Amino acid sequence: MTERKRSPWWPWVLFAWMALVIWAAFFYAPAAKGFKGESARIVFFHVPQAWVAVLAFCVNLIASLRYLRRRDLVDDARAAAAARLGLVFSVLATVTGSLFAKVMWGSFWNWDPREVSIAILLLVYAAYFALRESIPDDERRASLSSSYAVLAFVTMPFLVFVVPRIYWSLHPDTLINARGSIDMESRMFQVLMGALAGFTGLFSWLYTLDVRLARVGLKRRQSEES
Amino acid sequence: MRASSLLSESLAVLGKELTSELRSRVALNAVGLFALTTLIAVAYQIGPYKIEEADRPHLLSALLWIILFFGATSGLARVFVKEEDARTAKTLRLAARPLAVFFGKLGFNLILLLGLESLVVPLYCALMSYTVESVAGLALVMACGAVAMAASSTMVAAIIARASGSGTLFAILTVPLALPLLVVLIQGTKAAATSAALAAVFPALRAIVSLAGVTLVAAVYLFPVVWHD
Amino acid sequence: MLAQLSGTVEPGRVLVVAGPNGSGKSTLLNILAGVIRPSRGEVRYRQDEGDIPRARWFAHLGVAAPDMAVYDELTAVENLMFFARLRGLEARLDSIGALLEELGLAAREHGRYVGTYSSGMKQRVKLAQAVIHEPGVLLLDEPSSNLDTAGHDAVARLVDRFRSRAAVAVATNDPREMAWGDARIELAL
Repeated sequence: MTERKRSPWWPWVLFAWMALVIWAAFFYAPAAKGFKGESARIVFFHVPQAWVAVLAFCVNLIASLRYLRRRDLVDDARAAAAARLGLVFSVLATVTGSLFAKVMWGSFWNWDPREVSIAILLLVYAAYFALRESIPDDERRASLSSSYAVLAFVTMPFLVFVVPRIYWSLHPDTLINARGSIDMESRMFQVLMGALAGFTGLFSWLYTLDVRLARVGLKRRQSEES
Repeated sequence: MRASSLLSESLAVLGKELTSELRSRVALNAVGLFALTTLIAVAYQIGPYKIEEADRPHLLSALLWIILFFGATSGLARVFVKEEDARTAKTLRLAARPLAVFFGKLGFNLILLLGLESLVVPLYCALMSYTVESVAGLALVMACGAVAMAASSTMVAAIIARASGSGTLFAILTVPLALPLLVVLIQGTKAAATSAALAAVFPALRAIVSLAGVTLVAAVYLFPVVWHD
Repeated sequence: MLAQLSGTVEPGRVLVVAGPNGSGKSTLLNILAGVIRPSRGEVRYRQDEGDIPRARWFAHLGVAAPDMAVYDELTAVENLMFFARLRGLEARLDSIGALLEELGLAAREHGRYVGTYSSGMKQRVKLAQAVIHEPGVLLLDEPSSNLDTAGHDAVARLVDRFRSRAAVAVATNDPREMAWGDARIELAL
C-alpha cells in the first residue's frame, strides 16, 4: 500500500515563475531596437525552446551511451523521455523562429544555418521515433535507437558549428559576441535568463515525470514476466 | 588455425558481396535506373539553357547531388537487408568478426557509390553543359563524399535491417544524417566548378573528410552492438 | 522462456536437447551460440584453462539451425571457401570437395549455385559450413531435417567424427538423433 505523498511544491513554484516570465516578456522588458515593433519579444520564448531542444538531445545522448554500456532499460526510458520532449521543443522552436522570420524578413523560411539546424534536429527526433515504433522487442529497440542517437549526435556538430562558419547568417549576432561582453540591454537580458531557467525547469519536471512513469511500467512488466 | 587479419576477412566479405551482386545485379539495376531516370528527367526539363548564367554554379551542383543521393539511397541498404531476407544473416553473424562484416560491406557500398558517380557525373556535365574548372578538385570531392556517404549509409542500413528493413525507414533515418554532408558536398562541387585552383575545394573537403572520419570511428564502436543485438 | 539451467559439456560426450515443439530447444541453442543473451546467467567456453572471449567465438563454434541459410547465389564450394576465409583458413578445394561428398553431395553438384539445390542438398551445405573450420564446439539444431536415410547416416557419421574432439550439442525431436546422445536435457512446455 503506497503511502500518500504530500503533493510536491516545486511544480507550483515553476508555474508561478513561468507566469512571471510571460508577464515580464510583454511588460517588463522594453521593445528591442532595430526589430520590427514588438516582434523581438518572441526571443524570450524562441531561444529557450531551442536551448531545451539541444539540452534534450544531450540528455538523450548520455542516456543512450549509458544504455549501451549497462543495458539497463531505465536508461532507454530516459533516452526516450528526453527525445519526446526534444521533439516537442524543436517543433516549438522551429515554429516560433519561423513566425519571427516572417515578421522580420517577410518570409517564413530563409535557409539560415541555425534555422536549418533546428529543423534537422527535428528530423533526427522524428527518425528516432520512427525507428523505435518499428521494433517490437524492448532490448533490441533500446540498443538500435541508442546506436542511432549516438550516430546522429556525432554528425550534428557539423551542421551547427562548421557550416555556419562558411555561410553568411541571417541570425542576429549571438549575444556573447567576439569581444566577450554581453550586448543586450540589461532588462531584456534578465528576462531572457529568467525564461531560460523557467524552460529548463519545465523540461526537467516533465522529463522526471515521464521517466518515473516509464519505470513503473517497466517494473510492472518485469514482475509480470517472472 | 593461423591468425588471420581483419583486412583479409573484410576482403573475403567484400569479395562475396561483389560476386553476389554481379550475379544478381539487383542493387546495380536499382541504383543505375533511379539515377539515370532522375538525370534524364532533369536534363530534359532543364537542359543546358534554362538556368541563368549567374545561378548555374550553385543550382547545377545542387541538382547533381540530388540525383546522386536519390540513386544511392535506392541501393545502399541492400547489403544488409538482403542478408536478413535470405536468412543468411544469422549464418554470417556466427561465422565472422563484426568489423570484418562492416568493412567488407562498407567497401561494397563505396564501390557502388564510386561507380554511380563515374557514370552520372560525366553524363550530367555533358547533358547540362556543366563546365568544371578543376576536375581534380571535383574528383577529390566526389571520392571523399563517397566515403562519407558510404560510412553513414552502411551504418544506418545495419540498423534498419535489424528493425523493419523497409526502404522508407532507411530513407527516414538517412536524411537527417545526410543533410549536413550534402550541404558541404554541394559547396565543394560548386567550388570545383567555379575555380581552377585545387585549394578552392579545401574548406569543404576538410568538412567532408572530418565527417567521414567521425562517422567511421562511431561506426567501429556502434556496429558490433547493432550487428549482434 | 527457459527456467534455470546449468551444466558443462565436454568433448567426448554428445548432449541431446529434447522436448516438444515450442519448449525452447532452439532458444537454448541460440543462447549457447551467443545469438541471444540470456536474461540471467552466462555461457562460457574454455580452451586450455582459459576462457574464449566472446569476440572469438565465431572461430571456435560451428552451428547449423533451421533458421539459417547459406548463400543461394554462390556455389557450394564458394560458400565453403567464404566461410573458411572468414576464420582465416585457406581451405583447399580438394578438402572442401571431400567434405561435401562425405555429406552426400555429389561432385557434379559442387559447382552449381546453391539456389538451384533441393532443400536436402542445401541442408548438407549448411552442415558443411558448420564443420569446415574444425570447430571445438558443434551446435546442431535438427540436423537431419530435410534429409533422407543416407543423409541421416551421413550426419550420424559426422557427429561420431566430432564426438571425441568437440563439445557437441544436438537439439532434436527425432528419436534416431536422440540416440546419439550420451547426456540429455529434457525441456517441457
